[in-house]
Amino acid sequence: ERGGNNSFTHEALTLKYKLDNQFELVFVVGFQKILTLTYVDKLIDDVHKEFRDKYRNEFQQKGTLGLLNGTFDFKDDFMRLLRDAEESSKVRAPTVMKTFEQSLKSQKTVKCMIETRGEKPKEKVKNKKNKGSKKEGTEAVAAPGKASVGDKQPSVAGDREELTKDEILQKNREEFFKRHMKAGEKSSKSPKPEAQKEKGKKPRVWDLGNSNAKVLDYSNSATNGSAEACPMEEFDPDIALGDRNREPGRLYDLEYESNDEAEEEKVVQNPSKPSAKKGGLGGMFGMLKGLVGSKSLTREDMDPVLEKMKDHLIAKNVAAEIAVQLCESVAKKLEGKVMGTFTTVTSTVKQALQEALVQILQPQRRVDVLRDVMDAQRHRRPYVVTFCGVNGVGKSTNLAKISFWLIENGFSVLIAACDTFRAGAVEQLRTHTRRLNALHPPESHGGRTMVQLYEKGYGKDAAGIAMEAISYARNQGFDVVLVDTAGRMQDNAPLMTALAKLIAVNAPDLVLFVGEALVGNEAVDQLVKFNKALADHSMAQTPRLIDGIVLTKFDTIDDKVGAAISMTYITSKPIVFVGTGQTYCDLRSLNAKAVVAALMKA
Amino acid sequence: VIWRFVQGRRSSRKAVLLLGLCDAGKTLLFARLLTGKYRDTQTSITDSSAVYRVSNDKSANVTLIDLPGHESLRLQFLERFKAAARAIVFVVDSVAFQREVKDVAEFLYQVLVDSTVLKNAPALLIACNKQDVTMAKSAKLIQQQLEKELNTLRVTRSAAPTSLDGSATGGPAHLGKKGKDFDFSQLPMKVEFVECSARGSKGEEGDADFEGLEKWLAKIA
Repeated sequence: ERGGNNSFTHEALTLKYKLDNQFELVFVVGFQKILTLTYVDKLIDDVHKEFRDKYRNEFQQKGTLGLLNGTFDFKDDFMRLLRDAEESSKVRAPTVMKTFEQSLKSQKTVKCMIETRGEKPKEKVKNKKNKGSKKEGTEAVAAPGKASVGDKQPSVAGDREELTKDEILQKNREEFFKRHMKAGEKSSKSPKPEAQKEKGKKPRVWDLGNSNAKVLDYSNSATNGSAEACPMEEFDPDIALGDRNREPGRLYDLEYESNDEAEEEKVVQNPSKPSAKKGGLGGMFGMLKGLVGSKSLTREDMDPVLEKMKDHLIAKNVAAEIAVQLCESVAKKLEGKVMGTFTTVTSTVKQALQEALVQILQPQRRVDVLRDVMDAQRHRRPYVVTFCGVNGVGKSTNLAKISFWLIENGFSVLIAACDTFRAGAVEQLRTHTRRLNALHPPESHGGRTMVQLYEKGYGKDAAGIAMEAISYARNQGFDVVLVDTAGRMQDNAPLMTALAKLIAVNAPDLVLFVGEALVGNEAVDQLVKFNKALADHSMAQTPRLIDGIVLTKFDTIDDKVGAAISMTYITSKPIVFVGTGQTYCDLRSLNAKAVVAALMKA
Repeated sequence: VIWRFVQGRRSSRKAVLLLGLCDAGKTLLFARLLTGKYRDTQTSITDSSAVYRVSNDKSANVTLIDLPGHESLRLQFLERFKAAARAIVFVVDSVAFQREVKDVAEFLYQVLVDSTVLKNAPALLIACNKQDVTMAKSAKLIQQQLEKELNTLRVTRSAAPTSLDGSATGGPAHLGKKGKDFDFSQLPMKVEFVECSARGSKGEEGDADFEGLEKWLAKIA
């Protein structure tokens, strides 16, 4: 699901990859991170094209068996492509030197612009590389218009080098004019940028030839005109946009692309409309056309649909940057894929997005707390769970819910009150302990108290209390230790250090980040900073990071469940519990399909 | 029309799924069964399917489908293909089994409590792969360990918090019989254990040792 960016770094290697969705191939290039190779992208593109063209038949006809049986003797081709790519990157270095010479040449040819009447100076600029000094010889006429040359030069060649090589220019110019017997003292002044101020002189120069003045006027208007031409073209789509309810992007494409491509696009987009309107003869016909052919998806087809999907996701409370990355990766995955019959662009994109979302929510590793607790029980050590998060997300409440659930399953719990800052934190936990013990009295559990509170009052060091609590639990034979910490903002450096110290010193089995489902883009920031703090302040080689997420206050959001996606995307850790209320029974586990269904619902 | 419908029903379940954890050897087994040659394989990110002709004289053939084992992919591919499964081959890495027993059991549990799988009851074969390595565990040992693990799992899974929309994560089904320790014979489908080695004892040149697997495939075809 992270297909958006196409490079991946692991230790000393960087990997870049390219997907071919039509034949379901992946091309991966690995190289050392310290080398900055400029030809990697080009190489991978070339390899992709060659491989595909060479083995196209085998892919199309034989399918899987073809892949298994075929011998892909690509090594020689690959070495050849690699050599080409390396050489091409080397060749580029000397070209830096050439730009000056080109500009020299351009200056010479610019003069010709004035000489030849009625031709657009722009064309001349394009042709400057073709025209060598030969042209100058053939078309040389005029000394006049020298100032216009000076005027032109900054706009045409635009290099600083001209100005620094003034003397060479002047020399060449003088030579040139001497050859053609034209006066040219003023020419020596032209190359300087102060040519602008000399506009007063120009008319004097041009008086020598009326036609030249006209040429100059034309060139000026051409430069001005071309600047105006672009905005003028843009206005038409905007005016037309008012009538139809389309996104500007789509119309823009229609204006600029060729006719048949525009029609194709209309046909492709139309199928989405009849599904909504269920009518319109033109739409029906378009749908049939779009359904029967098998067309491969291009970026332009997918862009409007992806835009809509992205806005939809953001409306459902997914963090903005994550929505963008998700849409990017879906686009990358679908680009070039051949759509089967009876599928529309919208449905394909929606399907792919749905799959990506489900994949994000699926846990990468097992999410079975009870199983792990049983394991720890067998080894006669307590299972330590630490809750961390920002202020007011529901750590203490959900801690109580989880301890209730554990007691129901027959495990004894020790609650460590490491929130030594907030007023009433210890009292809150004491009340919970009392209630839980009332619900599960010792008599029904073989005489042992199922829940106990370990606290040392306020103002003490949280890490120390946690350590004492764990050793107490080990001595007394408690199965689980739940450590409650104080809420802290992710920007508060000293508090983050304290939390990191607590986790590094006590090495809990499970570090749970408690986040509320109401959070929006903040979720990304919170998780990133928490993880960073944990990684920075731990001494170990592999620091303990957040292992799981508890999503709380889920009952307050109806179907704006995007926070779940944001959080799992950032950490790639699973959502272990979901809190849906304030009573002890309001603890659920995540159902990926239901969440994604709620997300994709209109 | 009815006959075609019946045939459609029968032919719609002609697939044999190759499931298992990452690096269990599913893709290599797939290649060996189909072509007999050894191939260097990479972690699969998508499914591959092909028709496999059974080796003895019955002219039956089944479609072998090799699914990726990676945690984030396995469930979505299973969803796609479970309805078409006539049989499931669950490939287990016999060498890494001790380390991975919990993950193997969890995946197997997820496959077994799936409502579609319980309804269709496809034949299940647990293929203990990588027997060519000396440290490989025997099929008997793997069976015992899995039974013990699944026994614990069904308790913990059904005790897990119910899912958001009310359906329990463990599924309404309870694997096997309550009150008794879990046994593979308690399942509604036929379960067999077989040892095999996709790489084969002679390494890359030789053939793979999987007669047990081939015989079983012939039986269910």
